[in-house]
Parts: sequence; structure tokens; C-alpha cells
Amino acid sequence: MTGLDETALSARGLGKRFGSTWGLRDCTLDIPVGSVTALVGPNGAGKTTLLQLAVGLLRPTTGELRVLGLAPRDDVGALLPRVAFVAQDHPLHRRFTVRDTLTLGRRLNPSWDDEVARRRIEGLDLPLDRKVGKLSGGQQAQVALTLALAKRPELLILDEPVASLDPLARREFLSAVLEVVSDAEISVILSSHILADLERVCDHVVILSHAQTLLVGAIDDVLAEHRLLTGPRADAAAVARGHDVIRERHTERQTSLLVRSSARIYDSRWEVHEVDLEEIVLAYLGYGEAHPEPVRELDEAVAR
Amino acid sequence: MIWLGWREQRSETIIAALILALVALALLPSGLHMASVFDHDGLAACVGPHQSGACDEAVGSFVNRFQRVGDLIAWLTLVPGIIGVLLAAPFVLQLEHGTYRLDWTQSVTPRRWIATKLGLAVGVAIAASLVLIAFVTWWRDPLISLQGRMENSVFDSVGTAPIGYALFALGLALAIGVLWRRAAPAVLVAFGTYVVLRVFFDVWARQRLTPPKALTWKAAAPDPPSLHNAWIISEGPSDRLGHLIRPHVTAAQLNECARGAGDVKKCLLSGFHPQYTHAVFEPASRFWTMQLLETGLFAGAGLALIAFAGWWTHRRAA
Repeated sequence: MTGLDETALSARGLGKRFGSTWGLRDCTLDIPVGSVTALVGPNGAGKTTLLQLAVGLLRPTTGELRVLGLAPRDDVGALLPRVAFVAQDHPLHRRFTVRDTLTLGRRLNPSWDDEVARRRIEGLDLPLDRKVGKLSGGQQAQVALTLALAKRPELLILDEPVASLDPLARREFLSAVLEVVSDAEISVILSSHILADLERVCDHVVILSHAQTLLVGAIDDVLAEHRLLTGPRADAAAVARGHDVIRERHTERQTSLLVRSSARIYDSRWEVHEVDLEEIVLAYLGYGEAHPEPVRELDEAVAR
Repeated sequence: MIWLGWREQRSETIIAALILALVALALLPSGLHMASVFDHDGLAACVGPHQSGACDEAVGSFVNRFQRVGDLIAWLTLVPGIIGVLLAAPFVLQLEHGTYRLDWTQSVTPRRWIATKLGLAVGVAIAASLVLIAFVTWWRDPLISLQGRMENSVFDSVGTAPIGYALFALGLALAIGVLWRRAAPAVLVAFGTYVVLRVFFDVWARQRLTPPKALTWKAAAPDPPSLHNAWIISEGPSDRLGHLIRPHVTAAQLNECARGAGDVKKCLLSGFHPQYTHAVFEPASRFWTMQLLETGLFAGAGLALIAFAGWWTHRRAA
């Protein structure tokens, strides 16, 4: 249990149940301070649940959660000034003007930096008297981000920040996030069901599927640990004994295995390839299906 | 946080103020007119039990003249309910639209956010009820001095009861709203339920909370003073013990009366001379007891529902 207080976010056996279904189950992970973490997984994987637990919008059913060393639900008053959250679809008061929205931020946050807010809104060229509901989706996302940044948080949490944006707005938003990340000593957690959105801004990755964490780590380590092996069909079982096989695909003569292992592969019949992050994530999400067997069949079908 | 609470409730507060302004505007001319007629006819001298024949006549014509407007104004008893459910809307809308997540992830704790917002809604509901009570009481003042304020149509919109009604409507809409998380249907269902409960109170519950008095007196004698300005629940001819009696009409008598000239009703009752009158009533002296009892019941239930809505929202958010 060491490290709980030095991390941006630490979970131990964290679970959240909604009625009879688990939104998040037995989740254990550490996200270091200063990292930019991509939280990846298909829709319904539990990303939003984890992030809402982190800001105290939900109460954990099981396990323990620390955000900046604090329990989000119990220490909510101490935690909130240090964390900024942009919820999915960046909800804002549609009847508020941009000015009202900034006033909300100023009145509700003791650490509010009006200079930051003013500069960002000016940079975005947004009229202060415009109703938020009349802004484009991209502009609304930027206003929500401004509200979060002017709070000067130690931890910035963005839930599917770009899901509802068109490609241009998406790029602009991520550029804004990149700028923040390079500027300040801030930890960032972003979730998305599309990894490509996040790959260029993140240095850590968490893969979630079916309410469970499948992989947690620094992207460099993850890339170093995973390799794709191709070789004769029959010998897959031998490899599986020594290495953690994430995904296997078979064709008539050849088998390809995506393995997690830093150990050397001595068998010269196997060719070893590097893999990129996207392929690793896709492999995990396939692996995460409830029954591995049908997944393999599906993969074979795709290969044919 | 208070600024935000106001800002998020601004539209509804303005609508409530507009409703009150409209009511005031509609009542002002007839209220002034009624007050001036009251003064002009010197009716202040006719206030109180057992008046002269001249007074009876003057009072009768005054009441006839303004009774219909008074009956219309009885509908204002719906206003505390409308304002109550209206003020629940901003809170429920924030749950429906998810914007509470924005407010809850600033630096204000959910507990304080809930307390401030519900507190403001309660404050505005009470203030609006007080304004309505003041206006209706002013408007009705001449009629009240002649007829009292115990009848349902008056009782419901004066005293303190409207405060209880507004808080109850607010609490009901909030409780349904936080469970349902849909503002529009919650507000409508709450208002419907509120109206049904109010009717139930008017026609059934009120006279059982404070069991009414009963009196039997000689038909020839003047009405007992305790009946003055009372809410008369029932009154009719009776025997000495107060058992109500009805004229017994035979078929032959009916034929005869139908064939005869003159007033049929008078003819039928010609042989009917009840010695006593019996009345069941709530005396005017009970006004404040009944008002405070009803205010307490509605306001207590309303505040309990509001507390539930706050607790539930805090407990079951998202």
C-alpha cells in the first residue's frame, strides 16, 4: 500500500456497482504525479465510472481510492480545489453567458486565476455575452476546459473530451491540452474510446474493458514489454508456457502471437517484431472479452 | 455559492414574480372599488352579529355584488402550488441535464451546493406566499369583515396556510424530481397530486382534524352568536335533540299542490313547522388554531420531502 500519497491517483480493489451490474470491478492501479494518462476502453468499459469516483461524484462500493492522497468522497472539500474535471459532453449551463460561466468559476473556486481565464477566452475569440448554448460543440468544450484550467488544478481529469467534436475541433482541443501539459506541473487523466486521439499527448496508458483494468503502465514500458512473434503453427503452446500471450492468430501455416514478456525468445523459428501501441490496445480489448475462445474464432474470421 | 444559486434559479424566480404581479394587477381595481363601496355604503357599522334590517339589506346587496369576483379569486389558492412546483424545476433540471456535475466539481462541496439551492427555493416559496397572502387579505378585507374567513374558499388563501401549501408543493415536486430525474413530468405529476390532496383536505380532512361543534336552537330565536362568521358545514330543521328532519310529503298533497295556483314549494311546506334548527360548524374563533394546524402539517410534510430530496441527491448522485 505504499505510494498512495505520492500518486495522482491510486486504487486498490476499487469497485462500483450499479444495482446488479458492476461499473468498475476490482480495479488496482497507480497513476504517478506529473504523468499524462490515457484511459482507454470501449464504451461502457467503466472509464466514466472510474473518473467520477475520482472526483467524488460517485461513492465506491468496494476497495480504496486516493486522489492526491485524499479520499474523494470523504475529503471532498479538501480535494475539490486541487482537481479539475470536465465531464463527458462537457456539460455547461446552456442559459448562462460565457461571462456568467466565468463568474461561476471565480465565485466557486478560491484558487481561481482570472488572468488565465480571460487570456484563454480572448485567445479563442469568444464573445463574453454569447449564451453558452449558442456556441459550437468545439467552443463549448474550450469553455469547459478554460473553467477547469483557470482553477489551477494539480490534477486535470477529462472524460471523453473529444468524443463529440469534429476532427478540427478535436485537434484544437488536444493542442490546448498539450500546451497545458508542457506548461505546468500538472497531472492529466484523459479517457477515450479511440486511442489515436490520445496517443500524441500521453505518456501513460490504462486499458479498461468490462469494468476491469487489463493493463496499466508507462507507454515506453508497455512498448518495450510487448512483442509480436510469428512462427510455425504448432508451437504456440510452448511459447505460452514461457510468456504471457495476449492474442494468438492462426493461419494455415503460421501462427502469430502478441506476447507480454521482456524475456528473450531463444527459439530461432520465431521471428520477433515490434508492435505499436494501437495494436497492443486492440489485442487487449479482444483479450478482454468474456470468453477467449469465440474471440479467437472472430480473429481468424477477420484474418481470412 | 449564493450567487450561483440565484443565477440558476433566476428564470423561475422571475416567473414567480410575474405571476404575483399579474395577480396584483388583476386584483387592484376591483379591490379598490370594493373598499370604496364598503366605505360609501357605511358598511363598517354593520360588522358583527345581530344587525338591524337595514344592515341586513345593505350587507346582502354588497355581498351579492362582489361574491362572484370573490369566487373567482378563490382560484388563487392554486398559486402557492404553482409557485412551489415551479421553484423545484431548476434543481431537478440540473440533475436531468447533468450540469450539477459541473457545479459539484468546482470547489464547493455537494452538501453546501444542495443546502444553498434548496434553501433559496424555500426562501422564495415563503416570500411569494407571504406576498400572495398579503394581497388576498387586503382584497378580501371588506368581505371578510362581513362574512368571515372560515369558508374553504377564503380559508385557503389567507392566514398562514398558503406558506404550507407552497412548501408542500415544492417538496413534492423535488422528491418526485430527484427520483425521476425528469423535470417536466415531475412538476406536472407533483402539481396534480398536490391539487388532489388539497381537495381532499378541503372536503374531508379539515373538518376531521378539528371536530366541528354542533348546536340546536329554537327556530324562532336569532342565530346563536358562535355561528357568526363560522364555517357552516351543515344546517337544517331538526327536532329538539338535533336530529335533522325532513318534511313528509304524501302523493295526495303533491297532486293538490301541483294543481293549485301559488308557489308549489310553499304549498308543500305549508304543514311543516320545525321547532328547532341544528347546525354543524367550525366557529370563527378557531381560525388561527386551524390555520396553524394546517400550515404545520403541509409545511412539515413539505420540509420533510425537501430534506429527503437533498439527502437522496447527495447519496445517489450520478
